[in-house]
Amino acid sequence: MSDFHELIKSFPKTRDYVRDFFVYGFKTRNDFKEKSPRTYDNERRRLESWLAPYVRKDYAPGGSSISLAIDSSLLDTNPLFRVWKTKSFTDNDIVLHFLILDLLQDGRPRTLEEITDSLLTQYEALFDIQTVRRKCNAYEKEGLLVKTKSGKTVLFSLDNSLARWLGSNRQVLDACSFFQMAGHFGIIGNELSQQFDHENRSFRVKHSFFVHTLEDEILLELLNAMNQHKAVRMDLRSSRHGTVSTAECVPLQIFISTKSGRRFLCGYLRRSRRFSCFRLDALKHVALLETAEDYGPLLDKLTQNRPSLWGVSFQGGGGRRLESLSMTLQVIEPGEGYIVDRLKREGRGGSVTKVGEHVYRYETHAFDCNEMLPWVRTFTGRILSLECSSKLVEQRFYRDLETMYRIYDI
Amino acid sequence: MELFSEIYSCYYQVLRHLLSGQSALTIQDIRSRICREGFEESLLSIIPKIEDGTWNLFQKDGGLYLSRLRTDFLTPLSALEKSYLKALLSDPRMGLFLEPEQLKDLRHMLSAVPPLWRPEQFYYYDRFSDGDPYQDERYRHCFQILLQAQKNRQYVDIDYISPNGNRLHHQYVPARLEYSVKNDKFRLLALNPGKNGRMKLELLNLSRIQSVRPLEKILSSCMDLNALIRNSYYNEPVTLHIVNRRNALERAMLHFANYEKNTAKIDEDTYKCLIYYNQSMETELLIEVLSFGPMLTVMGNKRFLRSLKARLRRQRALSMPVISS
Repeated sequence: MSDFHELIKSFPKTRDYVRDFFVYGFKTRNDFKEKSPRTYDNERRRLESWLAPYVRKDYAPGGSSISLAIDSSLLDTNPLFRVWKTKSFTDNDIVLHFLILDLLQDGRPRTLEEITDSLLTQYEALFDIQTVRRKCNAYEKEGLLVKTKSGKTVLFSLDNSLARWLGSNRQVLDACSFFQMAGHFGIIGNELSQQFDHENRSFRVKHSFFVHTLEDEILLELLNAMNQHKAVRMDLRSSRHGTVSTAECVPLQIFISTKSGRRFLCGYLRRSRRFSCFRLDALKHVALLETAEDYGPLLDKLTQNRPSLWGVSFQGGGGRRLESLSMTLQVIEPGEGYIVDRLKREGRGGSVTKVGEHVYRYETHAFDCNEMLPWVRTFTGRILSLECSSKLVEQRFYRDLETMYRIYDI
Repeated sequence: MELFSEIYSCYYQVLRHLLSGQSALTIQDIRSRICREGFEESLLSIIPKIEDGTWNLFQKDGGLYLSRLRTDFLTPLSALEKSYLKALLSDPRMGLFLEPEQLKDLRHMLSAVPPLWRPEQFYYYDRFSDGDPYQDERYRHCFQILLQAQKNRQYVDIDYISPNGNRLHHQYVPARLEYSVKNDKFRLLALNPGKNGRMKLELLNLSRIQSVRPLEKILSSCMDLNALIRNSYYNEPVTLHIVNRRNALERAMLHFANYEKNTAKIDEDTYKCLIYYNQSMETELLIEVLSFGPMLTVMGNKRFLRSLKARLRRQRALSMPVISS
């Protein structure tokens, strides 16, 4: 174990492990067949170190398994944010971080020579100018330092006006506390809060999928491509079969399900001239390609198509362009009026009509009505009939119901 | 702009706290801080670097360590953090936290910064359509009073219209503001001091609160909210058997990721999953389980199984046509 390090260089490998432990919290050492036992042991030790308060150990006949006991209704933060705080660094990195930023706190621009000299005279820290230059340039790129030129002289300075403003307007930190749990890139909100020693003790979030944070590096790349109107090449790994493939598309929008916890990239595939969605957790790598000159028109086309989407499928099984679905429900009013509210609130634009005493009909069109079945099933106990232009959908619904009657001996 | 960068590292965070203190530290002080804020094994990595001076950030004076930093150290915001804040400015919920003047100032300071994302780049396709009115002045006013009272453990007087239309008037202590991504709504987790002196946890929809008034009374003791929530769980969790077909296992694991659960493999393609829940989650959990159809089988508890069977019986009684295979 002498080569064990708590911190890591790159994120992707660990992302898979954390995800497997979090989502499939029952895997034992034997279930990780793709990796060597030593890799498994090291990753497991790291995970236990980072997430110690949340790790649960269970002993089963197939071996012991660890999982993450993360119940969002009991937590004020996302424990998986800790995984983002594990990047390794060199001794020079950490020393220069504190000394350069401390030196420049007064806001006065300095040359590299001045910075290097001051590190020695004021902090007794000897660094060569190249090392200091590399760090200053890296920090300028990260936005921590400002680089200006005075004639031929390059100057570095630090602008802390925003940080000071945040320190005296702490309501922004309340917002960060909230958005770290409820919004995109919660990890950044969490880092900002931490930077100002502000902890969330006010907000809880329901239907927030903590595991999403693990996809944020990929999401950042995709947004970068979207902002530049660039096409992308993506390496994908199927969660079902484990197979690896490549796809190219013009990335247009991120689709999110608040129920299933899945996030997708919706993109346009030039080769097949259609839209398609890719799960973010299946994307392993994203590379930017050429600019899509027709980005605006493609986005307009997607907006036109979106009302006919139920979820993320642009094509049903029946080969028709649009499928129709009609569900008739028994609703005993006034006590069950909330069912009508649900149809309107959750029905994504479908029509809701009272067709008789205590009978309502919900009707809609969608590219793929098969995607609607999980929602339709939530009305079990009230469905008088279900009709769909795709007979496969109808059959699946009724057959599943018959199976359930058998399972529960109804 | 790197999301995975050492500048956000846990070690940097711990060191910042150690270095920002004005007084000299003993090695025991340093150890305690690392144990509190670092990872479980961070002590083994950080202490030797400080002791042998590799991280030359402290002046040693006998057994004491003095920070070499000379200023009130403030870490500047990174480009990524600025870009994040700029994106938040487009969110209508920001108005719940900041006054219009503050929003204006922040917008001005970030005028040259591109937002990390724009709202239209994201699409929640199954979010309910009747979200809370974040820009409504009364709603905003209630939110701010409740947030302040929550921080101060202050009692508030709430006038509320319940979902069945009854007007209620009670004193509560706000415990948390809970947001549902699916419903796009806030609820107040409120402590209701019962007549017997025991606090009861109640849920109030923010949009149903008609008025809220802060009182002078402060809750003197600190309530363990999680203990209250845990106590509300039924003794017996729901036990599900998941047959891993049509990707049901992976779907179920993600779908129920929000719940406290425990999963184990019981044979080649069947898994057992225990889900802990309380009365307020019961209906939602039931329809979530129903949405999976026969891919999930409820084995218990009796109460949950009874509710599920009642729905199926009612369904069967509605004379559905049967499609032969």
